[in-house]
Amino acid sequence: MSLTQSARPTPTLFNVSADNWRLAIVVALVVSIIAGIVLPAAVSFWLIGAMVALVAASFVVNAYRRRYYGGLLVAPAIAVLFVMNIFPLLWSLGLSFFAYQSNQQSIRFVGLNNYIKVLTNEIAAPDNWHALSNTALFVVLTVSAQMIVGFLLAMLFAKQFPLRKYLLILVLTPMMLSVVASGVFFTYYYDPTFGILSYVVNDATDGQFILMSSKAGAVAGIVFADAWMWSPFVMLLVLAGLVSVPKYLYEAAAIDRVSAWRRFWSITFPYIRGLLMLALLFRTIEAFKLADLVILLTKGGNDTMTISYHLIRIANEQNKTSEGAALSYVMLFMVIVLTNLYLYLANRRNKGG
Amino acid sequence: MSTRTKIKGALMAAGVAASLGVADVSTARAEEVTLTMAVPDWPPTRVMKKFFDEQYKPKSGNTVKLDVDFIPWPDFYTRVNASLTSGEKKYNFIVSDSQWLGAFVEGGYYRKINDLLDADPDFKKTFMSVHENPRNAYSTYPYKSENYYGFPQFPDVLVNFARKDVLCDATEQKNFQAKYNKKLPCTGEEIDAMTWDDFKNIGEFFRRKKGEMLMGKPADDDFYGIAFQAGKGYDFSSMQINGFIWQMGGDVWDETKVPNGQAEGVVNSPVAVKALEKYLSMIDYMPPVAKTGTMDIFKSDELFREGKVAMNIDWIGVGEASLDPKTSKVVDKLVVGLAPGTPGPDGKLVRWSNIGGQPFVLTTWTTDAQIKEAVEFVKWWLSDDIQNQFAAAGGQSAVKSVYENPKYVTYRPWNRAWAASLDWQKDVWHVPQFFELLTQQQDQFDLAITGKQDAKTTLDNIAKFQQNLLTEAGLIQ
Repeated sequence: MSLTQSARPTPTLFNVSADNWRLAIVVALVVSIIAGIVLPAAVSFWLIGAMVALVAASFVVNAYRRRYYGGLLVAPAIAVLFVMNIFPLLWSLGLSFFAYQSNQQSIRFVGLNNYIKVLTNEIAAPDNWHALSNTALFVVLTVSAQMIVGFLLAMLFAKQFPLRKYLLILVLTPMMLSVVASGVFFTYYYDPTFGILSYVVNDATDGQFILMSSKAGAVAGIVFADAWMWSPFVMLLVLAGLVSVPKYLYEAAAIDRVSAWRRFWSITFPYIRGLLMLALLFRTIEAFKLADLVILLTKGGNDTMTISYHLIRIANEQNKTSEGAALSYVMLFMVIVLTNLYLYLANRRNKGG
Repeated sequence: MSTRTKIKGALMAAGVAASLGVADVSTARAEEVTLTMAVPDWPPTRVMKKFFDEQYKPKSGNTVKLDVDFIPWPDFYTRVNASLTSGEKKYNFIVSDSQWLGAFVEGGYYRKINDLLDADPDFKKTFMSVHENPRNAYSTYPYKSENYYGFPQFPDVLVNFARKDVLCDATEQKNFQAKYNKKLPCTGEEIDAMTWDDFKNIGEFFRRKKGEMLMGKPADDDFYGIAFQAGKGYDFSSMQINGFIWQMGGDVWDETKVPNGQAEGVVNSPVAVKALEKYLSMIDYMPPVAKTGTMDIFKSDELFREGKVAMNIDWIGVGEASLDPKTSKVVDKLVVGLAPGTPGPDGKLVRWSNIGGQPFVLTTWTTDAQIKEAVEFVKWWLSDDIQNQFAAAGGQSAVKSVYENPKYVTYRPWNRAWAASLDWQKDVWHVPQFFELLTQQQDQFDLAITGKQDAKTTLDNIAKFQQNLLTEAGLIQ
């Protein structure tokens, strides 16, 4: 570190050189601000983009000359992350403060109005809150179903038995299928005329069974399909934990004649707890974004509209871009709070244990 | 120093590459014109492309290429919407549902064609030879104004697909006559003369459980008399419900009456409530999937092709599959008539129905050279010869001289219902708020279809929402 720095002194602020990133930032700021005020938006956008590139380039040259190779190596990844993720994210955050529709040419600053509309407007807000409470229902139901089924499957597959390898592949297949394929499969499964479910129930009860005609049925249908697809994911994670438990612990427990229940709580569970938490976290975030299955199975009918699907309709179909952006940020905020709360709890319990 | 030179070199190379890319687009040679087109992937557009490749010879002597993007139907709106709003300016021609006109005209994407029509009397004559109803639906924004935008690609109407083996069966005929004191419609003409009450009777009459007698032998599965669209997706209930409302003398919010036309009091008028109640009263006789809100135009067609229903009201556009033995159990049993009507005060049937089908439109960034070729292409497309070939290959034509040709009814079983239907077609809103109006209305209709709320509440909710949205948009004063 000291070697490289002594090799080349950092240029002073006004020294024009390719590695003077401080000067680059000053120039970029000044040019951007002037361009933003003077030039039309279509030109200043690209000019400001060029200024960002200039600053980035000066950082790269600086890193090269002073041999910060670690920084250089991660630079491409950071560049891609910035262009593909961070920039669009910030851009949409900006849009959420304007009245803008993607199919219209006008744009106007409205401050927090979009957020106020999304949360309090007498026509828009009830739909949003309603979709949000539906989403909460789905999160609780799908995640608990997946955790329970996935966990039980993992306990099953942790043991050796004939054909285990092949059965394992079979159990993992739903996770690998595309959601659309599974969705179409389940629409036929639940269909009252063509579907096997109604066929079997009708034969047994001599009535007309229509699963998807009530909210309870529709929710059950969606939860079942989702659990069918994602329980194997939970199983994989838990299975990894189960396999990592050292055999000698069980052997010692056997010598001590420890009960099966006790063996599970004091040996197995501590090993898989972290992975269970990870599975729970992943599935909760995913369940919060549930839209594909709902679109395929009910189109949001029978009161199964989720916030994600609602958002797709607002932002993509109705082109209410900035209102959609505002709602997305409200959603993002909730997910971040939930995740952090959850991580905090998980960590505290770990320390306590 | 060497680093600096390298960077400069790289920058210059990038600059040169960029300018080459730009030059490549702008200096397309005059003799070669490419028209890029976004279309849904289904037979009517495949046929269009095939005819173009095989038969089209531009009069200008230029080489004209039609570069077609076939996009699957479920993705179509999303893809077109994304392409237009992102500003990529990729397509010169776009197949568009008529209701999208307002949204994309206001966005500055669809090109008004009045100047092209005025500049070319031949073109205008061809264009005006399209039946007035589809022309208004496919081409005008605001609806029924004289601002023209599109040309018919595949015009479509709702017709009654029926099974003659079931309807003409002697036992069924006898039993129906005994029960309703009316002849069970069996031929095309008899189906044409049906009212919605007859339709409902057929639904009630043919409701058979598995094992009950159908056509003199036990049915091997549950059987139903009738089906029509009652789905929550896209416009899969509005397109049928609008017909009921118009036929019974009610109305939807009428865009041609801006700014004085109201939603409150019109959309939820007592007549409209009655019409919706009538629509809903038939759901009970349909296959049970209707109660789940997923009986869209594809599901009812599938039920018909699988032989589970006797009659299905659906678009001609989905009909082709029922003629293919690989996808249909009713190929040799098909008879098609007009969709049912409602008797008017003079006893004649009122048949208002919501028009289907799609126009294709020109985009605003299409260059003059491209426009010249595009106009020639459209003239060729709407010419009698090509329209006849198109109809013979399974398409439909809204050009008078084509569908009035006696040959026309021989092309497909449903063509006999075509000309008579055209006079009774109307369209819904072309305004930019179309999608909001539609999704809210579909959500509300779905609640009624699945039995969660009654017709009055449904229409009250729709009227309130529309009044509010359209007042904010300045379309209601």
